[in-house]
Amino acid sequence: MSTRFWESDWFGPFVITLAAIIVVGTLNPSFLSPFNIQVLLLAISVNALIAFSQMIIIAIGQMNLSVGAIGGLAAISFAGMMQVWGMPWPVAAGVALGIGLLAGLANGVLVAFTGISAFVITLASLSIYKGVNLGITEAQPFYEIPDIVKSLGNDTFIHPLPWLVIPCVLAAIGLWYLLNRLPLGRSILAVGGNEHASELSGISVRLVVIVAHAISGGLAALAGIMLVGRLQLGQPTIGDDWLILSFAAPVIGGAILSGGHVSVGGTLLGVIIVAIFTQVLVLFNIDPFLVQVVLGGLILWAVGVNRWREVRAQRRAGQVQI
Amino acid sequence: MAIDVRHNQSDAFKDMMANTSQQDAPPRFSITRILLSNEFGLLVLIVLFATIFATISPAFLSKFSLYALGRTAAVNIMIGFSMMVVIITGGLNLSVGAIGVSAAMFSGLLMESFGMPWPLAVAGGLAVGAALGAINGIIIVRTGLHSFIITLATMSIFFGIMIFLTHAESYRGISPVFTGFGRMKLFSIISPLLLVTIVVALGLSVLFRFTALGREFLATGANERAAELSGIRVQRMITYCHMLSGVLAGVAGLMLVSRTGAAIPSMAGQLGQDWLLPAFLGPVLGGTLLTGGRVSVLGTLLGSFLVTMLTTGLLLMQVGAFWVQTYLGLLLLFAVLVDLVRRSYLQRRKLI
Repeated sequence: MSTRFWESDWFGPFVITLAAIIVVGTLNPSFLSPFNIQVLLLAISVNALIAFSQMIIIAIGQMNLSVGAIGGLAAISFAGMMQVWGMPWPVAAGVALGIGLLAGLANGVLVAFTGISAFVITLASLSIYKGVNLGITEAQPFYEIPDIVKSLGNDTFIHPLPWLVIPCVLAAIGLWYLLNRLPLGRSILAVGGNEHASELSGISVRLVVIVAHAISGGLAALAGIMLVGRLQLGQPTIGDDWLILSFAAPVIGGAILSGGHVSVGGTLLGVIIVAIFTQVLVLFNIDPFLVQVVLGGLILWAVGVNRWREVRAQRRAGQVQI
Repeated sequence: MAIDVRHNQSDAFKDMMANTSQQDAPPRFSITRILLSNEFGLLVLIVLFATIFATISPAFLSKFSLYALGRTAAVNIMIGFSMMVVIITGGLNLSVGAIGVSAAMFSGLLMESFGMPWPLAVAGGLAVGAALGAINGIIIVRTGLHSFIITLATMSIFFGIMIFLTHAESYRGISPVFTGFGRMKLFSIISPLLLVTIVVALGLSVLFRFTALGREFLATGANERAAELSGIRVQRMITYCHMLSGVLAGVAGLMLVSRTGAAIPSMAGQLGQDWLLPAFLGPVLGGTLLTGGRVSVLGTLLGSFLVTMLTTGLLLMQVGAFWVQTYLGLLLLFAVLVDLVRRSYLQRRKLI
């Protein structure tokens, strides 16, 4: 565990973030204007929750393709309950969060009790949740969002910090505490590292898998709810484009896809890097269609670097000397 | 102690013999085996649902409905094949949709902007499919990383470059001969696209059953290390499978162009994600193991056909077009659960 700080997961992304801020800020001073920082933080807050939602599943060595579908379902439930049933927003948000937790829980139970790969289960549930979303909304958005929700989704509490930063920071601290300080979190990483060994050392692998999927569903739902406030309407398409991002940020943050190794700080920096790169394309009038190419390129680059670090670490540990 | 060892060894040997003799002589169980096979189950489901749909809505058996069903199934089966040939190596290809659209768009470009005759344009599109598949394969074998994350990244890259180059605009100047092909009716109910799919299915069956190359693909998927030790160039096989996947995705994309009369960037949805479910439904329903090494071309064909038929039938019964996706998801879940039960039953009866 005692790695020097420049070998830790977050160091590489941190240097890149710092360099990007300095370079972009010098070339285009409007990048560091309070308004632009507010815009960036809004994007980062929501995207961080999307990334955390995938990160917790990567930690147990699985994948969750239904992150976007759960987020979208929670988003339209939140907006729909306020518009159609006139629910007060905190109740609607609570119920929508519950829906997300349940959707994640269902994924976890199916994966844990059938032994079918999480890929297939979440591909099926992606389709089910998205279908329910479309069935309810018939692809029409909910427009009547209370003003307070719109305000919470866009305004700042201390200039230039938007309200949305608060749930994001709380989730980051909570996840860090869970993964580094709580027995449950250590079990999650242990299951990801070696499922069989964890089982033998008395960890209930099934329970851990179910809990991780439930947390993932809850985080995705929170991201969806926040996005309703930010977009000021309940779009049925919320979540459609989350898949690539949800993998990009954790991987940039040093997560190993086979499980057992994730970094909350690294993932957060991954989200910041993606947000800066995306904005650079806009600031310098580069075709925004290239965002997808940049995201894909970042994933390839990051998995390449992680692989190289893994091989180097093994070589140092002498495991490769056969 | 030595006796003990010998005793154990002979026991193990006896067990082994018992197992092999059971495996070699299952003709007594052969009917049960056929009845419990994936392909037979799918056939039963297809007949069952066709009967139900035809009873509820006679329009299901109308000439046009059957023609449309065959034409849609042709594309879905091809998408299923495109995923199947990668699944047999134990990998995945999330970029099938992105490759399919890129290949179709390139053909559209060749036909509209360069006025190329359609056979050349089709060859060009398929070449793009093969090239993009090769890029996937080469990155996967060079880095040793799982195909999931690589093809997730390339899905984003291929689609992004395609949108950047085409400015998200369609090519509508498609050769009339080519679009006529997609609208032609043989004997008033059969689409030539379905014939293309059947020819490809026969080709794939021959490849996996009778050629050394096909057997080497399967061996690579079953046990990479063992395949390597028996002299198979594993890395090359994986790259070939990804190239084949790219070509088949290109064929599916071109079929859509031929059917709609235009090459449209959004024909597989955002990043080509809309193809993912049909791509996995066919092979998974058809009994192709996700861990690799086992393939059923007929199963994939029947699986994709069943999915297309269910979609068409549900739309015809007006259960609400928006709910169809939910039913397909439930079907995938149901299929993998049934497969689990079936497999454990066969294992208990020692039929596998």
